[in-house]
Amino acid sequence: MALVTLPPSRRIDDAARRARPVALAHERALPLAGELGALVPGARLRRGSVTTVEGGLGSGATSVMLRLVAAATTAGEWTAAVDLAGTLGGLAAGEAGVVLERFAVVRRVPPARWSTVVAALLDGVGLVVADVPVGLRAGDARRLVARARERGTVLVAVGPWPAEAALHLRAEGSVWRGLGRGAGLLADRALHVQVEGRGAAVRGTVDRLAEAG
Amino acid sequence: MTERTGCLWLADWPVVAARSRDDALLGVPVVVLERGLVRAASAEARADGVVPGLRRREAESRCPGLSVVEADERGEARAFEAVARAVEAIVARFELERPGLLLFPTRGPSRYFGGDAALVERVLAAVGEAGFTGARMGVADGRFAARLAARHPVVVPPGESVAFLAPCPVAVLGDTELAGLLAHLGLRTLGAFAALPAPAVLARFGVEGRRAHRLARGLDERPVAPVSPPPDLVEQHELDPPAERVDVAVFAGKRLADRLLERLAALGLTCTRVIVEAETEHGERWSRCWRHEAALTPAALAERVRWQLEGWLAHEGALTGGLTLLRLVPDEVVPASGRQLGFWGGDQAAADRADRALARVQGLLGPDAVVTPLPRGGRTPAERVGWVAWGEPRAPAHQTAHQTAAARSPAEQPAWPGTVPGPSPARVFEPPLPAELLDVRGRAVAVSSRGDPSAPPAALRCAALPGGGGEVEAWAGPWAHDLRWWDGRSRRRRALWQVIANGVACLVSVERGCAAVEAVYD
Repeated sequence: MALVTLPPSRRIDDAARRARPVALAHERALPLAGELGALVPGARLRRGSVTTVEGGLGSGATSVMLRLVAAATTAGEWTAAVDLAGTLGGLAAGEAGVVLERFAVVRRVPPARWSTVVAALLDGVGLVVADVPVGLRAGDARRLVARARERGTVLVAVGPWPAEAALHLRAEGSVWRGLGRGAGLLADRALHVQVEGRGAAVRGTVDRLAEAG
Repeated sequence: MTERTGCLWLADWPVVAARSRDDALLGVPVVVLERGLVRAASAEARADGVVPGLRRREAESRCPGLSVVEADERGEARAFEAVARAVEAIVARFELERPGLLLFPTRGPSRYFGGDAALVERVLAAVGEAGFTGARMGVADGRFAARLAARHPVVVPPGESVAFLAPCPVAVLGDTELAGLLAHLGLRTLGAFAALPAPAVLARFGVEGRRAHRLARGLDERPVAPVSPPPDLVEQHELDPPAERVDVAVFAGKRLADRLLERLAALGLTCTRVIVEAETEHGERWSRCWRHEAALTPAALAERVRWQLEGWLAHEGALTGGLTLLRLVPDEVVPASGRQLGFWGGDQAAADRADRALARVQGLLGPDAVVTPLPRGGRTPAERVGWVAWGEPRAPAHQTAHQTAAARSPAEQPAWPGTVPGPSPARVFEPPLPAELLDVRGRAVAVSSRGDPSAPPAALRCAALPGGGGEVEAWAGPWAHDLRWWDGRSRRRRALWQVIANGVACLVSVERGCAAVEAVYD
């Protein structure tokens, strides 16, 4: 860092101008660390935006979702997950880095009340992850997008989302290491994730997400 | 100088209010629950050892045949209005602390009725006529001593309150931390605590300790010169058209409460006593004084306004018309010491917002629909996580050393013997999904009692998996779980396999030749 000598009369004014705080980008977005952060443009999730995660059972979508939740809880936000199937593994959440005290799971949601529940959650927490029910109407989805934008909450929709979204993540399966034929253990894997989004860059490439354990 | 105060206390008011609404609860053990914890218990339940603070299951186990009622604050406030009205006929000025507790200065009424004992008799008779038995009243110097006197109940002669307070245990101060600390130091009674010099107490225990010390010495809670409220600091609101329904009046009351506290905060003051006044369209005026131990927060003040309005409007024959005017008068204000929030506004506000949103969802779907994971000991992924309903304490009151360890992050836990090794699966199925684990010849894989598989698995079929399952690419196992081997009837033997079929890694269990998918490493 070079020291600049200024003429005495302007030193204070210039120093004050340089020291003025700028609007910090991290206040408007959630930082994403690790390999997932390396894939997402800007390595952050903008507050008020919608992200979709797609992938069937076994493709790794739940792990991707848990990493987003972990990013939010470690940043100090409260998160809620709407788990329609009721099968979310709590321990896997802990291992993905989620702070379990700030993580709530809503189960047994009747499909007719799904929109009401998600809207209520958007009002209170910082990040909402919701399994999208079959047959969700586009109008309901758009209303939730508007609400998320208004409240500054990040909405992560897991499943086919009929409205717009800023970021699309698709989990395309993993390659596991460690398990042999009759011996070994599941040790770690490479999870393939495809990232597509508006904003700074549009990426269609498939990247490897090496995950320990 | 403390003034003579009388305290009227109706024990277990939530229970009394519940019984006044439902006659079937008379004479049976009753418990009032709030958010899963016992808030008040009837005398019959207390005899069986049920105390406030227990969980519902524990209360039910201590007292079989217990009737359980959910807390209804509005009903309690409404019912207490009848008691307040009965006391109003005898005592001109009184303060309500909460439904069930009433305090008033006794100098005037006592002189009028000829002594403290006569006053107590009158008040109890009036409350009895209103239909509430079991009321207790005590008189002493100062509010703290009066509240303790009501528990006995006893009339403490003037000047003897200090002697009355001396043998009481330090737990009555209401501050469990301070009481624990004093007990450790060997000061078990208020008398012993009061004997300490005041500057030393302030130095050692801080402002809270000084406050408790003043109470123990029989002095009043606040120094004698409170700030007198600025005369124009009255918030009022005219309701046009007159409000006949409770919710309209309550909404207006809430806005008034917020405005009043905002104005007080702008002056650096906060309110501990407030008078709620209402006028009806026929010119009647009703007023009631509410007091709070600590400074009134907007939520607490709005709650008291709501209780009072419920009490007035819900009582038949009380108000002959709708309410036209609602007024809040701060009666006692103190300088606001403020609450130091975190540097960036703190996350208390965020926690409150999240709590409200989740409580609202619980209201929509039921309390068990919103849960939070709590790691605990176990062998299978399903056993290793407990789901605690939101709002319930995450840690049970009594914890074994392992449970305390388990409550830390999963990485810090000591290993539970027999756990399935490796990463935890992201999707856990309870009950497990039926499946078929077949060998090369298409027969189901079985595991002998020694843990030997009959043949290596070659295919996994399960309807829920993508593609219905597929060929087994890699596998490991079986890990044998012998459950309850000591009990002939409930013993189970289960074998667990880690299987990768069609690119999907699953945890499969085989029991008596039937396979099931327990979890998927999604």
